[in-house]
Amino acid sequence: MSMRYLTLYRRCLGAHLRAVLEYQADFCILVVAGIVTQCLGLVFLGTVFTRIPSLHGWRLPELVLLYALVGLTQAAVTLFSDGIWFLNHALHTGEFDYRLVRPYPPVLQMMSTQIGFSGVGDLLASLALLVWALLHLHLHLSPLRAAACLVLAASAVVTRIAIVVAANASAFWIGSPSPTFATAVHSIGELSRYPLSIYGLGLRLFITVVLPFGFAGFLPASWILGRTDGYARLGLLSPAVALLTAGLAYALFQRGLRRYESAGH
Amino acid sequence: MNARAYLRIARNSASTIASYRASFVMGSLGVLCQLVALAALWSALLSRGVSLAGFSLAQMKGYLFIGFATGVLATAHRESRFASRITDGTVALDLVKPLQYRGMRFAETLGGFAPELVMIGLVLGGYLLLAGPVAAPAQLGLLVLSVLLVLPIKFLIIYTSTLACFWTSSYHGIAWARSAVTAILSGALVPLALLPGPLRAVAHWTPFSSITSTPGLIYAGQARGAHALVLIATQLAWAVLLWVFAGWVWRRAVRRLAVVGG
Repeated sequence: MSMRYLTLYRRCLGAHLRAVLEYQADFCILVVAGIVTQCLGLVFLGTVFTRIPSLHGWRLPELVLLYALVGLTQAAVTLFSDGIWFLNHALHTGEFDYRLVRPYPPVLQMMSTQIGFSGVGDLLASLALLVWALLHLHLHLSPLRAAACLVLAASAVVTRIAIVVAANASAFWIGSPSPTFATAVHSIGELSRYPLSIYGLGLRLFITVVLPFGFAGFLPASWILGRTDGYARLGLLSPAVALLTAGLAYALFQRGLRRYESAGH
Repeated sequence: MNARAYLRIARNSASTIASYRASFVMGSLGVLCQLVALAALWSALLSRGVSLAGFSLAQMKGYLFIGFATGVLATAHRESRFASRITDGTVALDLVKPLQYRGMRFAETLGGFAPELVMIGLVLGGYLLLAGPVAAPAQLGLLVLSVLLVLPIKFLIIYTSTLACFWTSSYHGIAWARSAVTAILSGALVPLALLPGPLRAVAHWTPFSSITSTPGLIYAGQARGAHALVLIATQLAWAVLLWVFAGWVWRRAVRRLAVVGG
């Protein structure tokens, strides 16, 4: 059953892929846009760190790795679940009706209706940053530790996608034609690009407990970097948090589904 | 006669935005959270009385707030709606109206001004509570003048970039690329003085620096008196130039319009 879900998901994305590749200029613009957007942070770190050597004990290569990890989670959101951003539009126009008559979970259908090609740019830029960081960090990775790092990174991706899905599911209640709320939530994820210690206690709790963006960036990155503080140990919880967040996002979407009453036309 | 028509368009746009209050207010909360985080980041960077590019921490917090406020201006009426007029063909109906296309879009943007001010006010309140102390603006009159001038400049840059939809079929990529470039060159990401030389030069010779850097420097008191007036005159010149440029692009773009069916 789950194999079939996965195959269908891939095929939905594939259909969109072929559609977009028809418009090559658009494709190129999106890829460039993704790269330029990821460069923003690089410009920020680059300009500030020519003047200030470390931020709360984090050196530049460590921050770049953290930055790359968050960039990778963003790339995954954009490449594999971009369709969820069109949920409010589908609800607003009543187009969502179509999703209900097909034998495939509506949440997966929505997620797989689009591929965000700026994700390709995000991916390329983030991989470049990751390689640069790894070359400057000299991390000692045993095979076991490397595998654990991959699990943590994958968990970060799942957490990030789950938050995006949950934030967009708010459209069932809010009913705005554009995903303003989800965009706001998504942009709070930018906070996990920096060491949590720079924030006040309230904000720190907010982005680890309420919106667990910390587990989609800073916390797993702390462990990957071999730090030994409490944050790194908390980072080991990332897989559990990913499962929990995904479950909650799914439950929220299903509750919203019960409220849907079409657009009436 | 025409002025009344434009006014009506502006009021329609305002009431459309007002009907989605809930998402607007929640959007403000999200932005507030980001702004407070940014202030925390700069507090960490500028701790122990360090100053960067002549900014003390309290001044930097003021500058950050201007970066946010100028980022909000001209966005309440979403640019994707300009773009979809072109991609879905509604623009054909605009051509038969006895009003200027650019003027109608500007009226819609101005209709968003009041909601934008409300959002800026809400966020300012939260910001002062959570991220204080923030330096007070050095020259309030000049600041207001330069912030008002941001409105036409931002509108014209956004409007002109949506005209690209006459050549491409989707707008997302253009919007993202433009907002990323704007973030760097306007001084919203870091004050322009911190940028490497070539980027700083590009910023100074393009209209982007008029968006955040000019009001930000006036707020922080880094641009005073004659210097501030020169910067404001530059803003005015950009507004006029961009208005003319937008007209030129429009005349070329509209020739590409092909309307099917009826």
